[in-house]
Amino acid sequence: MSKIQEVKEKVEIGKTKLVPGLVQEALDEGNAPGEILQAMVESMSVVGEKFSSGEIFVPEMLIAAKAMSKGVDVLRPLMAGDTSASLGTCIIGTVAGDLHDIGKNLVSMMIESAGFTMVDLGVDVPAEKFVEAVKENENVTLVACSGLLTTTMPALKEAVQTIKASGLDVKVIVGGAPVTPEYATEIGADGFAPDAGSAAVKAKELVA
Amino acid sequence: MLTKRQNLMETIKGGNPDRFVKQYEAFAMMMKTPITRAKPPIGGEIVNEWGVTTRWPEGQLGAFPVHDDEHIVVKDITKWKDTVKAPNVEHPEEDWATAIAEANAVDRTEQYVTAFVAPGIFENVHYLMSMEEALMAFYEEPESMHELIDYLVEYELKLAKEFIDHIHPDAIFHHDDWGSQINSFMSPDMFEEFFVPAYKKIYGYYKENGVELVIHHSDSYGANLVPAMIEMGIDIWQGVMTTNNVPELIKKYGGQITFMGDIDSGVIDFPEWTQENIAEKVETACRRCGKLYFIPGASQGLNISSFPGVYEATDAEIDKMTQEMF
Repeated sequence: MSKIQEVKEKVEIGKTKLVPGLVQEALDEGNAPGEILQAMVESMSVVGEKFSSGEIFVPEMLIAAKAMSKGVDVLRPLMAGDTSASLGTCIIGTVAGDLHDIGKNLVSMMIESAGFTMVDLGVDVPAEKFVEAVKENENVTLVACSGLLTTTMPALKEAVQTIKASGLDVKVIVGGAPVTPEYATEIGADGFAPDAGSAAVKAKELVA
Repeated sequence: MLTKRQNLMETIKGGNPDRFVKQYEAFAMMMKTPITRAKPPIGGEIVNEWGVTTRWPEGQLGAFPVHDDEHIVVKDITKWKDTVKAPNVEHPEEDWATAIAEANAVDRTEQYVTAFVAPGIFENVHYLMSMEEALMAFYEEPESMHELIDYLVEYELKLAKEFIDHIHPDAIFHHDDWGSQINSFMSPDMFEEFFVPAYKKIYGYYKENGVELVIHHSDSYGANLVPAMIEMGIDIWQGVMTTNNVPELIKKYGGQITFMGDIDSGVIDFPEWTQENIAEKVETACRRCGKLYFIPGASQGLNISSFPGVYEATDAEIDKMTQEMF
């Protein structure tokens, strides 16, 4: 089995302690950093699919993302300035009044694993702050907003509409327990995802 | 007419209830004991019995543990013993006076004197160390997680003894959220390894000591955990959300466990709630779930609603469904 293949497999099953060493070995064998990164992105895509289908659960997804992150740490010094593999920057946060960050953190992790640079604004983010963050950060291609409560759905609508009204060239993806695809369309979002795995797939699709 | 208690028993045993059990009507919740969980006031912050800082910000529906570097209790799960200290559960008799008086005032032929426990074992674990770190630790440091859970179980058994000695509960209402709206947080296998033995001990202890009924709250998906719930000794799963396909669960497991909910709080309990919307959701739940092994009610984990009037409006609609279906 090639080292890259081994990296892929170990990321998928979340071997956080083994992955950095395997990434180094793959580099030593002469594989390009970008190629290794791509292999890990592909692993996470499999992980996302399995999560969405219910085959794996949150712990498995978390340790896979952590394993990839450890692998990326090895590659990072070698890839400084190389943005060819990046899908751009994604601004993420829960909307005003919503403090539920667990789902948002999982989505952030999976979108990052798909190849985005993440800027996490945290929880309870006013609509204008999303717009400011798009302006302040480089190469922002996507904004991800979530709300867990029925009571914060108006804030989700406001966030999406404020971002869209700003005229900035970014896509907006939304999610959270009460959000439906119909509601996402109604409020003007470009995309919707029901879970973290699907969010990564949809994020890539939106910026393609 | 059956008493509330008899009617509940008929419902969960597959007998002849004469009406729908109306949400929490059969449970007299004992909330004023000296060992009931500490909760911050709305807009306030406390450090709870376990040293976890919890805040209830204005405008929110509940309290949140604070998990920044400064506040998190368990920073390294392998060193949990350095920072986790179980609260004292032994209090002077006078501290129990209110609870004992309340328990004595309950007509036990009508209602179950019900002890309330929250947070549960899983919730306590992630309150102490954050959800993400806890879930990863089940893979990365399983031995430490088993040790921590054993320690929490020991505490819960002491808690149970105090409840039993002082108020002789007929029922226990125990919180522990095990999933999101769409899935359980962990696989049934992982759940079986870490939580089933823990809860078998806790719920087994209550039942060995005169507690007739175990009601467990998890307002989530959890259909994949129902066999484990039955194994643990849960009689009623409260908070079952519509994503679980409750009619199918009743068909499959009715007789072994009863399902309480099938009305998601989020879709009825909001500032602009209406009677018509509640009526529709209650009717749907009652008609599709039927009269046995099912208790209609909001998924909310207590006999309250987040917005005034919703709980009572839900009760009124359940009464209407009783008139139509019984």
